[in-house]
Amino acid sequence: MTRSSEPTGHGTGSAAGTDSPGATNGTDGTDSISCEGVGVTLSGSSGALDVLGGVDISVARGEFVSILGTSGSGKTTLLRVLGGLLPATTGTVRCHGSVVTGPADGVVTVFQDYVHSLLPWRTVRRNVGLGIEAGCDRAERDERVDEALIMVGLRQRADEYPWRLSGGMQQRVQIARALATRPRVLLMDEPFGALDAMTKASLQDQLQQVQELTATTVVFVTHDVEEAVYLSDRVLVLDGSPAAIGLALDIPLERPRHQVTTKESADYLRLRHRVYEALGHDIGERARLGEHDHA
Amino acid sequence: MAGENGTGGTPLRGLLPLAALLVLWQLTGDPDSPYFPPPSEWFAAVRPLVEGNELLPAVAATSLTFLIGLGVATLIGAIVGTLVGSSRPADRALSPSLEFLRALPAASLVPVATLILGYTTQMKLVVVVLPATWPILLACRSARRSLSPVLLDVPRTLGLSRRHRATKILTPALLPAVLLGVRVAAPLALIITLLVEIVTRVDGLGSVLGAAQANFLSAQVYGLLTITGLLGYLVNWVVTRADNAVSRRMRGEP
Repeated sequence: MTRSSEPTGHGTGSAAGTDSPGATNGTDGTDSISCEGVGVTLSGSSGALDVLGGVDISVARGEFVSILGTSGSGKTTLLRVLGGLLPATTGTVRCHGSVVTGPADGVVTVFQDYVHSLLPWRTVRRNVGLGIEAGCDRAERDERVDEALIMVGLRQRADEYPWRLSGGMQQRVQIARALATRPRVLLMDEPFGALDAMTKASLQDQLQQVQELTATTVVFVTHDVEEAVYLSDRVLVLDGSPAAIGLALDIPLERPRHQVTTKESADYLRLRHRVYEALGHDIGERARLGEHDHA
Repeated sequence: MAGENGTGGTPLRGLLPLAALLVLWQLTGDPDSPYFPPPSEWFAAVRPLVEGNELLPAVAATSLTFLIGLGVATLIGAIVGTLVGSSRPADRALSPSLEFLRALPAASLVPVATLILGYTTQMKLVVVVLPATWPILLACRSARRSLSPVLLDVPRTLGLSRRHRATKILTPALLPAVLLGVRVAAPLALIITLLVEIVTRVDGLGSVLGAAQANFLSAQVYGLLTITGLLGYLVNWVVTRADNAVSRRMRGEP
């Protein structure tokens, strides 16, 4: 599977540590989703908090971009802004050229909290159909639900209720629900963060396959460096307070990737090293503790 | 009933002590006692009410007031509870008033309501609706408040319309809380219905009961009390059953 998106047209924000050769800020029409100068100020009990400041991102069609950052760095906030779930305080978000003011058509967010994002009173099938049942007739809905369930390997469990499934399966149901809407952009907020390592690895590979099959654009938020490098075409690191893009790194590893061989390759290790550095780990010394936790 | 595990209502076996007490009363009671006439006398005393076609309309009037009152209370409680629970400012602004109104004893509303509405069915309804609303409103408010924000983001990101968000997500998610409130409110509503009827004598089982008491027809009082008790038991059984069934359904259990 080739990608249309190799290095051209990758926008990166505030310039520090840019590795992308073609790091021009492109809004050239091939962008799937992009944002310009996005800042978010949240009002909390302890006064206003600048979470994001001047974030520029542009994601090409079919590209897989990961957003990395330490805990509390504003990754989730950024994803909510991209998904139209949270209005940006400053700046604009564009999806396929038009400015986003609410959740845009064809942009679906997958949440980390799969327990609360599935409806316990609906079967797996009816959960997956939630996004399309208003706009599709029965036959088409069934077909699309089946297709999505087959993609995540849960066709056999369609008539069970979510509580009967394991955590990994429940998250796959949520992904299937997003896929059933045939999204052009899939926004994923630490989707595998609450799962054990084995399940996580198998879901990562499943996600790779699904993306190859559907050519969906994916923006993937995670705090797991290995995961980000393994899955992505490009890794963006959020840094600072308010946070902006600190590092944008292309990941030109061959596809399809494999959990064992890809992760043993020298290129993978070199890229991983770069990302760890950008996250503020002093290589060879003890990692700095908790510095960003309040950000 | 006896074959089921009695998850909903109380198994009939649990009523045995009460039945034994009644039998004992029947066997040892003095038929001419002005205070404690035995059960056989109760039926004899209630019979004229049945024959004079007084009892059935009274039960119907009480049931109607109770059902409409509970229905209106459920509607108001669920809607206001959801709205208050979904907005912090509204919650903060309204909570003290709500707490005050909740603490107001239901019986004290009767004089005000009769002043304004007179001795009418509307008056009865107002007095029943107000106190029955609180348990539902409060249950719904706290359920709405503790609803996961993710559950509300899901329909937005999937592009559900406002109406579908309310019908497909919010309503089923809050339904168990509403029914929990109804479970508390239903016996309350019945008590208040009877109380208002006894106090104001505006039709219904309560007014017949009050009249019997005023005329020292003690056997008839006991008879009517039994009917009232059965009505209460039935209401409780139905509401508990419904609550359990819906809660299980909403958790996706068989």
